[in-house]
Formats: sequence, C-alpha cells, structure tokens
Amino acid sequence: MLHSRSSPPGLLNRQELVITSKMEEKVLDMKKADDDIILWMKDIEKSFSGVQVLKKVQLMIKAGEVHALVGENGAGKSTLMKILLGIYRKDGGEVIYRGEKMEFHSPADALNRGISMIHQEVCLIPDMTVAENIFLGREDNFSRANVLLDVAKQRKQAKELLERLKLDISIDAKVQELSVAQMQLVELARAVSYDPNIVIMDEPTSALSNTEIEKLFSVIRMLTSQGVSVIFISHKLEEIYEVCDRITVMRDGEYIITSDCSELQEKDLINYIVGRKVDVLYEKEKVEQGEEALRVEGLVRSGTSSEVSFSVKKGEVLGFCGLMGAGRSEILRAVYGIDKKVKGDIYVEGVRQNIYSPKTALKCGIAMVTEDRLRQGVIGALSLVQNVTISMFDRICSGLGFFHPSREKGIFVDIAKKLSIKYAFMDASISNLSGGNQQKAIIGRAMLTNPKVILFDEPTRGIDVGAKAEIYKLIDELAANGLAVVMISSELPELLSLCDRIAVIREGEIVYECEREKATQELLMGYAFGTKG
Amino acid sequence: MKSQVKKFGSTLIKGNKAVLMVAILAVALSFLSPIFLTRVNLLNVLRQVCVSTIIGCGFTMVLGSGNIDLSVGSTVGFTSIVMAKAMVAGVPVSVSILLGVITGIIIGIINAGIIIYFKLPPFIVTLAMMQVLRGSCYLTTGMLPVTNVPKEFSWLGQGSVLGIPVPIYIMLLMVVVIWIVVNRTKFGRYLLAIGGNEEAARVSGVNVEKVKIGVFATMGACSALAGMVMSARASSAQPSGGLNMEMDCIAAVVVGGTSMQGGSVNVVGAFFGCLVVGIINNGLNLMGVDSNWQVVAKGLLILFAVILDSVSQKVYGKAR
Repeated sequence: MLHSRSSPPGLLNRQELVITSKMEEKVLDMKKADDDIILWMKDIEKSFSGVQVLKKVQLMIKAGEVHALVGENGAGKSTLMKILLGIYRKDGGEVIYRGEKMEFHSPADALNRGISMIHQEVCLIPDMTVAENIFLGREDNFSRANVLLDVAKQRKQAKELLERLKLDISIDAKVQELSVAQMQLVELARAVSYDPNIVIMDEPTSALSNTEIEKLFSVIRMLTSQGVSVIFISHKLEEIYEVCDRITVMRDGEYIITSDCSELQEKDLINYIVGRKVDVLYEKEKVEQGEEALRVEGLVRSGTSSEVSFSVKKGEVLGFCGLMGAGRSEILRAVYGIDKKVKGDIYVEGVRQNIYSPKTALKCGIAMVTEDRLRQGVIGALSLVQNVTISMFDRICSGLGFFHPSREKGIFVDIAKKLSIKYAFMDASISNLSGGNQQKAIIGRAMLTNPKVILFDEPTRGIDVGAKAEIYKLIDELAANGLAVVMISSELPELLSLCDRIAVIREGEIVYECEREKATQELLMGYAFGTKG
Repeated sequence: MKSQVKKFGSTLIKGNKAVLMVAILAVALSFLSPIFLTRVNLLNVLRQVCVSTIIGCGFTMVLGSGNIDLSVGSTVGFTSIVMAKAMVAGVPVSVSILLGVITGIIIGIINAGIIIYFKLPPFIVTLAMMQVLRGSCYLTTGMLPVTNVPKEFSWLGQGSVLGIPVPIYIMLLMVVVIWIVVNRTKFGRYLLAIGGNEEAARVSGVNVEKVKIGVFATMGACSALAGMVMSARASSAQPSGGLNMEMDCIAAVVVGGTSMQGGSVNVVGAFFGCLVVGIINNGLNLMGVDSNWQVVAKGLLILFAVILDSVSQKVYGKAR
C-alpha cells in the first residue's frame, strides 16, 4: 500500500475531558496573577495526518488590547484560530477563557460565549438588506408572538448599532449594492452586535482603501476602550504598528515571541517572522545559461493596473517570492493563459506569441504546474496514466483522433521511471497516490509536452520532505537540460537554494530582483513586506 | 491488497450491477410468466429497448462530461417529424435521414452554445429546449401523426435480417461506435477529463468548449437516429414521440454504471440498463399489471439508481 489514510483529525481525545484538580488549581493561580488576561491558549498542539502543524503554541490576550498575530503563510495562525473557534479540535494544551478551562465546539458556540470572527472573505447574503444580514440567525429575538418578524425593531437596533460604530451605511441597502469595503464593515458590525469579548480579524484591511482603514481603526479603538480585545491577523507591518498594542509571532507552527509593539523594532520583527536558518536544502548544479527562452513585456492582468516585465534564459531558474496575495500566481497564470490579460507581449525564444488559453501556451512551449493540485491539477475520475498523458494526448492519437492504449502506457511507463513515480496500479485513480507522487505525475504531465519554459507555482506545497527533495532535483535537472524555469514559492530557503535569480513581487509588481548570491532572507522579506525600496 | 479488493468491488457494483439486475429479473420473470423466455418475447424486449439504448449511448457521454441533457426526448420527436415530413414531401429516404441527423446535431450545438456562452447550468438550458422542441412538434404537425412514409424507411424499424430485427443491428452498431469514441479517441478522453475536473482539464490544455459542443452534438445525432428507428417502427412520426424519454435514459444509464457526477462512462452498461427498464416494462405487461405501474416503476428505478450511485461513490469513491 502506497497510500494510507490516517484517522480523521478531530477525534475526541478522552483524556482531554478529564479535568484534574491540579489543573484547576493552576487555573486559579493564573487568575490571581493576571486578572486582566481574558484568553490564554497554552501549549496548543495539533497535527494533521501525522504532520505536526502546531508545536506548543502560546497566545495570551489581555482584556481591551489589540493583539497582532503575525507569521508567514503556513506559520499556523489560522489553524490556531480554527482551534479557538472549535472548527478543529486540539491534540494537546489548553484554552483558558475568562479564567476557566474551556473548549468550544463550533464557531456558534464560541460566538455565544463572546468570541466572534471576521473572515477574510465576506460571508454575507447578497440579496438581504444590511439589517437582515446583521441579525441573521437571531430572528427569534425580533419575533412577534413567535411567528411574525418585528421588522421595525430589527431596523431600529441595526440603526443604533451602525450609529454607535459611526458607519455611514444604509440599513435598508441590499448587501449586493455595497462596495467590498462596506461589506467588510457590515461584517464588523455583525460581529460587534454579539457584544463579544474578543473579535478576531483575519486580514481585515486587504480590501479597504486608506480612509476606510482609518474608519476600521477608529472602530477598533472604540471597541478596545470598552474592554473588548481584538486579535488582528495581518501581513501589513505598518498597520500593526499603528493599531496594535502587543504582537505574537509564529513561525513554522511554533511560538516565537510575544512583545509590546513599542519594544519591538520593525527590523527585529521581520527577523522573528522569517528567521529560519537557511539549511542548504539542495546543492544546485552549475548550469550553463543559454539564450533567452521567455520574455514577458508590460503584462497587465485584467482587473489590475500593475505592469510586469521579466525574462528567463535557457537553463536558468527564476524564483518569484512575495507574500500571499501579492499577485505571484496571478502573473504566471496570465502568462500561461488561464487568466485574461489586458495587454502585454510574450516572447518565446524571441518570437512573439499570442497566448489566450493554456492550450495555446502549451503549443508555444510553455507548460505550467499549478498551485492548487486538487482543483486545477489532478483529475480524480481519471487513472494515473490518463492524468499524465492528458496534455500531450493529441500527439498519441492518429490524425483522426484514435489512439492505442498500449502506446499510451509505453509513454507513461517511460516518464514514470524518469520521475520515479511510485504506484501500485497505473489504471487506478490518481487520487490513490500520495501528494508527492500526485505532484510528480502533474510535473510529468507538463514535461511530456516538451516545453521550452516550465512554470511552477508552489511545487512542493503539501508534500513530504522526501518527495520535496526529489522535486528539487527534478527542477534542477530540467534546467540542466536547457529548460527555462520560473518558480513561485512561499518557502524562502527553497528559492535561495534552487534559483539563479530571485524576483520579489509586491502588490502585483516586481519590486526587486537580484542574483541568488546577493539574496538573503532579510533582504527579500524587507521588499516583500514593503519596508525596503 | 485492500485497494485491489476495493477496486474489484467497485467494478462489480458500478459496472455489473445492471447485468446482475438483468439476470435476476430474467430468472424471476421466467418463473412468473411462461411467455417470458420465448424467442418472440425476448426479441420483442430487445426491439423495445433499441430506441432508448441508442439515446442512452449518447447520454453516457453527456453524463460522463459532467453535463445533463433533458431535451433528448423532444429532440427524438422533433427530428423524427423532420425526417417524416421530408419524406412525405418527396425527399429521398437517405437524404431525409441525413436532414434529421443534421437537425439533431444543430439542436445539440445550440444547447452547448447557450450553456457555454452564457455560462448557464445545462439543466435549465436543456429543460427550456425540451419545451421549445415539444411545442414545435405539436405546431408543425398540428397534433396529427405524419404518416405515409416510404416502405424502405419503415424497413429500418420493421424489417429483419437473418431473423433478427433491423433496429437491433442499428442499436448494437451504435453501442460499438460510441464505445470506441469514448475509449479509443482523443475526444472520448477529453470528455472524461472535463467531466472529472473541468478546471484541471482546461489547465492541461483541453479545449473545454469544443469538447462540450462535440458532446451535445453527438447527443443530438444519437437522438435523431433513435427518432428514425422509432418512427420507422410505427411507420409514422408522432407529435408526442419521445415524450418522457429523457427520464428513461437517466434511469437506464445510471443503472448501467455511468456516474451522475461525471468523469466515468459505461456504454455497454447503458445497454444493460436499458434492458433492465425494458424487462421491467415487459414483465409488468406479461403479468397484466395496469400499465401506469410502469411509470411508477421507472420513477422508483431512477431513485434506486441514483441512491446506488451516491452510495457507491461514497464507499468506492477513492478506488474508482
């Protein structure tokens, strides 16, 4: 068996439910020591399928403070918040809320006890009015004789709430008529309407303009003056310094530090966020670089105004680094023809090509391994063989479109050997394979098209260490064979050991570019966070 | 080992459940009715399932590509009227048939075009098309059957070669052709890919729109051929020809092991699925049950098939 499913996460651990008297004493101690601590997440541990994603993480929130929770993508921030809200069940550690050991069973449970969360994506019902959305799920509070809805009362309360928050939004407007920023403020109003003790905000400013951010911050300050605590998750360091009192940094599922904002310099903060030692993950082979293979000039994606230009040579590996949402994937997706572009020219080996779909991109010699393996990579209904050959299938077929299975299998066996894909049955669904082998299959799919340029978007996401090393070796071999490679990765060490050149993307643009020899984590992250340049 | 067992189990359930049902029904009916196992009756059953199997072949492709087509019944009716009207007007038989098939293909292209261009769910688009075409059937015929079709045409439905009715040959030919298309051509592979994961297929360089148009066009052609057999058998095109046939198809095809979720196709299974429906109808007839029970039975069969599909998805989803 190559693939085994582990037991589902979140199975109840009986021992957790036993509260020993010792623990209760401890809780009391803590209560005496720090009266104003409202939430203490202590030694939280969590693993998914045997991979530990949280290792003894600490988070201590005081009443009435704005507490920033920062870390790179995958540092474990959202897992921690999901544990707090009861979406995931923790494997170890305890949550002490208002002096009591507690475990929430669902977001609704957490909400009823005073913890509400504003998600990054808007979760409102577009066809309902602002007032209806705010009190959705609590219609019972506004019923007349338990049947009819007291609309007037609901509107009155909604109006009072919005006035209290100084939000200039009509309560009768349908949510679909609002701007994204207004929707986010409605979400905020809804969260506040529960009279919470703690409000969690996940990247609340990502869709807001500067004036709206100011409005959000004034609401936050008003809340904290009333004793409400805010957990503020953000990548934007300037905002954190503007609105937050304390900061907790997480990295690779570990707790790093908690500090007052005033005592922590921006430079040090970045170091804490990225400060992994760079182990040399992979010793890159020296590859002779050839002529230019891909040149992108003045590429503008639809819906944005940022312009991007870059080029890669044969045998060269260009890395794209940047924060989540910086627009790295979108650039490559536009080059490959998945997303639409407004203007810009793409040259492959010096010839201008008109690329408007993945099919045309493949024809021009550009292949891509996409980020979201499940949605845009594997086709679960097809077998392993069929998944690997799909992109070059017309070359297996005769002119009339017929093919012979044995020919297809021959091609598959060759490439599977080259990539050392491990499988039990090549005719079984690709979903039976491990993540690493699935990824190798998708890379094989791209390689079979004989590309000149290959684009990788997070090629090692969600796969184990051994498979990662194999994929590094593969990318290196591709370059050695004269292919041009562009790869996106959120793991800096990966880029620093694999790439010849690294470009930093911020807000959809390339803000910095340098040779690997000159690049350091601090330098790159400085540009990514926008504190440099 | 475990996955091998699972895979075997899933093929048994998904692939052969229709065969199994045919066997069970046949054994049961041979005890219940002395007429069932006679040559005449068995040929009769086969002849009855010809029309639905021919549509069913195309329908497997529609479901396999992750779509649905509710307009097949109306297309059958409409194309048969087109053929019959053309023949009555003096157009040669072969040209009339070609005309009907082209009509079916155009209907399919219109369906696919609307679905793709306006990004609408196939369910709604083809539901509307079903109404439009049925209304057209009634309007063009004035609610009267189109009769007086040439003898050569009727032969396609009534004649027999080597003691076996012609429609059975046509049906088997269609099963073979569609099987080859699905399992041995680029088009077949692409339609399975878009049924399995449209987004991934597009990223892999599949021209999703073109494949969809192809699928619905093939469906239209199959419907037209079914219409041909149907009207040839009756020597006339009925305004209500093919009414509710889409329901028979969904039942038969899903019982035959083609998943409603897309990504898998079982063409031979569709034939056996149609046989299940045909044998149930035949059995109820032989036992003298009120014919309205056939409708109820079909409804129950659809439910049964979809439940079976969903259960086997859950149990064997991973080992598909």
